[in-house]
Amino acid sequence: MKGRIFDIQRFSTHDGEGIRTTIFLKGCPLSCVWCQNPEGILFRKRPIYFENRCIHCQTCVKRSHAGGVKIQDGSITLDIDAKENWNDLIDWCPAGALEMDSKEYEVEEVMQEVRKDMVFYKHGGGVTLSGGEALFQWEFALEILKQCKKEGIHTALETSLYTKQEVLKKVLPYLDAVFADFKAADDKKHKKYTDVSNRKIKKNLKYLLQSEKKENVTIRTPMIPGMTAFKENVLEISRYISGIYPEVSYEILNYNPLAESKYHLIDQEFCFKENPKLYSKEQMQEFKNWALEGGVKHVIIES
Amino acid sequence: MKGLFQTDRITYLKDKMLSEPRYASIEQALIITDTYKENEDKPRIIQRALALKAALEKITISVEPEELIVGNRTAGVRYGVVFPESGSTWVDKEFETLPTRAQDTFNVHQEDIETFRKVIKPYWQGKSLEDVLSQRYGKEIDEIAKVVKINQKDHAQGHICPNCVEWLELGPAGLQEEAAYKLTTCEENQKDFYESVILVMQGARNFMVRYHNLLMSMAEEETDTDKRVSMLQAAKNCKNLSRRPAETFHEAVQSIWFLFVILQMESNASSFSPGRLDRHLIPYYEKDIANGTLTKQDALEIIECLWLKFNEIVYMRNSHGAKYFAGFPIGFNIAIGGQDEHGNDYSNDLSFLFLEAQKHLGLPQPNLSVRLHEGTGEELLKEAVRTVAKGSGMPQFFNDKAVIPSMVELGIEEKDALDYAIVGCVELTTQGNNLGWSDSAMFNLNKALEVTLTGGKCLLTGETIAPDYGNLETYETFEDLENAFRKQIDYFMDKMLLACEEVEKVHIDLLPSPFLSATIDNCMEQGVDVTAGGAKYNLSGIQMIQVANLADSLAAIKQMVYDEKKIERKTMLDALKSNFEGYEIIRTMLLNKVPKYGNDVDWVDAMGTKWAEYFKNRLRTFTNYRGGPYHTGMYTVSAHVPMGENVGATPDGRYAKEPLADGGMSPVYGRDRKGPTAVLKSVSKLDKNLTTNGGLLNMKFIPEFFKNEIGIQKFADFLRSFVDLEIPHIQFNVVRREDLIAAKENPEQYRGLTVRVAGYTAYFTELADELQNEIIARTSYGDI
Repeated sequence: MKGRIFDIQRFSTHDGEGIRTTIFLKGCPLSCVWCQNPEGILFRKRPIYFENRCIHCQTCVKRSHAGGVKIQDGSITLDIDAKENWNDLIDWCPAGALEMDSKEYEVEEVMQEVRKDMVFYKHGGGVTLSGGEALFQWEFALEILKQCKKEGIHTALETSLYTKQEVLKKVLPYLDAVFADFKAADDKKHKKYTDVSNRKIKKNLKYLLQSEKKENVTIRTPMIPGMTAFKENVLEISRYISGIYPEVSYEILNYNPLAESKYHLIDQEFCFKENPKLYSKEQMQEFKNWALEGGVKHVIIES
Repeated sequence: MKGLFQTDRITYLKDKMLSEPRYASIEQALIITDTYKENEDKPRIIQRALALKAALEKITISVEPEELIVGNRTAGVRYGVVFPESGSTWVDKEFETLPTRAQDTFNVHQEDIETFRKVIKPYWQGKSLEDVLSQRYGKEIDEIAKVVKINQKDHAQGHICPNCVEWLELGPAGLQEEAAYKLTTCEENQKDFYESVILVMQGARNFMVRYHNLLMSMAEEETDTDKRVSMLQAAKNCKNLSRRPAETFHEAVQSIWFLFVILQMESNASSFSPGRLDRHLIPYYEKDIANGTLTKQDALEIIECLWLKFNEIVYMRNSHGAKYFAGFPIGFNIAIGGQDEHGNDYSNDLSFLFLEAQKHLGLPQPNLSVRLHEGTGEELLKEAVRTVAKGSGMPQFFNDKAVIPSMVELGIEEKDALDYAIVGCVELTTQGNNLGWSDSAMFNLNKALEVTLTGGKCLLTGETIAPDYGNLETYETFEDLENAFRKQIDYFMDKMLLACEEVEKVHIDLLPSPFLSATIDNCMEQGVDVTAGGAKYNLSGIQMIQVANLADSLAAIKQMVYDEKKIERKTMLDALKSNFEGYEIIRTMLLNKVPKYGNDVDWVDAMGTKWAEYFKNRLRTFTNYRGGPYHTGMYTVSAHVPMGENVGATPDGRYAKEPLADGGMSPVYGRDRKGPTAVLKSVSKLDKNLTTNGGLLNMKFIPEFFKNEIGIQKFADFLRSFVDLEIPHIQFNVVRREDLIAAKENPEQYRGLTVRVAGYTAYFTELADELQNEIIARTSYGDI
């Protein structure tokens, strides 16, 4: 079975215990305006142009026969809908400035990458599936998870939980840890910022936090200035999740200002004109206090 | 360790040391010269012994009132010592520029320059090690210099771990007695050796007595009671040590320091190292703790005094040498932890106190090393990581799982291999019984590849420097190229070995070292000086420079020229000849379209390991002049910069004269794109037997990675995998880029900032401009 992956990152240290390999599966039903991996939202595969790598040799322009690459006022622009032999252009670009944003992998090919760091998983690490939404290609994700468990590799999943509950039921037995997002408690806001309602997500949260694996679940909210990082939101999320499972682990993620740089690569605009800064330790502590007030006992913030 | 602190005494002494100006000193050179003049008719070993004895008895000494551990080879701290026996031609050439040169500056007294030229230089002209070697074999050495750099041409042998335990248990009095006893029964040809040992041990004892006397007279004047008490204690220690072995912890530490001061006075050589000092000192520590005369805090203060002392001796190299070994490293390497003689995990209170001292002081010396193995205790490992996180670049880590079996494979007895230590930066040694000659030569594999591609011509000058076994245009297949490369390696290796023998002979003739010999096993038993092969082990280490660039270059040629045929053979050669001028697209392809070493790509990594293996296997078939094996190492210290200056454009897309990869096993900086685990995996494909002389893997992390215990734990896990992968060495730079840029702009505000330059830690602000830039440019990992 094949799946579409936009990155495999070794030495991931943020998504689960130990040293991990994170597999980013392409495609996501949500479109969060702050998305850290905007190239992972669309399932469609497309070429990307990295201007900072380009040496302006125009090899691509010369080899292009269907108008996929044009030069306008000295800068390269792509027409990704053009019937172009993209592989040829990519192959001959000396700088690696043209690349496909993703690649098809067989499960076994993924496993070959995964196995490269076996020696590191041994001391407490493993594989994390992320995205996009890792469960958007759930059959593929399931096969990877099954194979990992067969080989004794610790598994984790990062998910928006925007998926059918049957899917969740299918993958859960093969998971050692789940990191599930709950971004906005107010459904109107959720729709506004992520494009989807949070009803399905809340239903899945409930299922997850009542399942056998509830101890291995961490609920996460990214702190996006003006969108999720306000008291009512944190308070309400905290009340909801601790109401289902009082021992729930809840992680408050700091805002990530580095996402902005990715947007221009895929010709999109970032949600902030002026990129906000990371929250300070004191601000993070305040967010934590809100969560405690909302009834969560185990609140995680980066210290 | 909780509750322990750095005392005011230490803070004061540290600030004082760092703020004192460094000078070049000719005082000992004058004493040596006088002694030789008075003893022209004596055998060389007696002359050497008399010269050392005279220095020990005459050199100006001084003591800081606050010091608990005393002694130095010059009156001022961090002085550069002119040493005429080994060579001072360079001093003559460079004396005036010492204060202004790019790297490792020293102040100069104008009158010293005159005295040097009037008295010292004329006497030693044609007689020093440097001059004699140059007369005997200089031409041959120069002819191969672009490919092979022959070392040890102008200084005595260092990189040695003396038998500290025996020194502690016998002291100079005991060793003198032993030599005197041997003298009564020995053969005629051994007499000079034992007599010279007696002379230097007398000198050593007198040296200690002089410190006693100085301290006593200072104490008489001292009005502050605390200071007087500590002076009297230090005085008493010195007096006791002049007569008998150490008994207390304080005495033992003082005794160790005297040992290293005197070794430096005899040889002025880089890197005499204490080895496993936590093991050497533990009996004294435990005894004093048990009888209530010492607390942990007392012990820590004494250790920190010793740590400061290790920073007071620096090694003055010529401007060329200073470029290769920037920051005057002298390599007092101390190894803690590791396996004991039964293979069990070993650590004690002192292992932790040493780490604590490093956390407090953050100075470049001692070069602190932690030996790791599968059974390393979690606490020691984490405490070591926490020390790394402080940012001084120390400790570095060595891997018993790689080192011990590879030493055994080389022919070292298992009990000695289990007890291995490190000398200098990363050079591996057995303790107290080994003349490792670890820096015999550096073999530039990339220059050898250059002459393979050009048919024997230097790309930088166009002159013929090697045989013509064909060139890139004539090699129809990649195998043809490889065959020619093999021939070039053989050609230069043979020439190198002849040169190494000549160097050894000159050392035997001119620089016998009786004091050192007395502290190396088997020399005293046999009555044979260590330079003449008296030690139990007699190794010679050759460094392979640099496998990372070699792998990248060969991979680029194989893929682009022979497999994919995207670049014509002639075009490739022309591109190299013109340093890629007019070939920008080709250079960009070479850089970007071929995978590089350090990314866990098997076929590329194999390009490097194949040739490293070939080199090692051939080298191992030879025996050095002392009868021991040649073996290989993969470390450059900072030599990747000057070594790179000597290599033209390379097929990996590197411009002419740019630095080679740093470290020795590290990837070319900026080319490791798959993260630290991929780097470790690539490096692990280099067999451990390639680095019996030492390997060096340098990685840089930003401090955010260590900011909490979760990060510390992950880093500890990372190091456990490093052990499993049987990589011999790893070290970390933990600094922020911004710190370094700021330090460059405002050096005075960052005087204490240390960074690891390859194998050792140096003061960042004291490094040359280009080296600073290079450190800033190195890859940085972190949690972005």
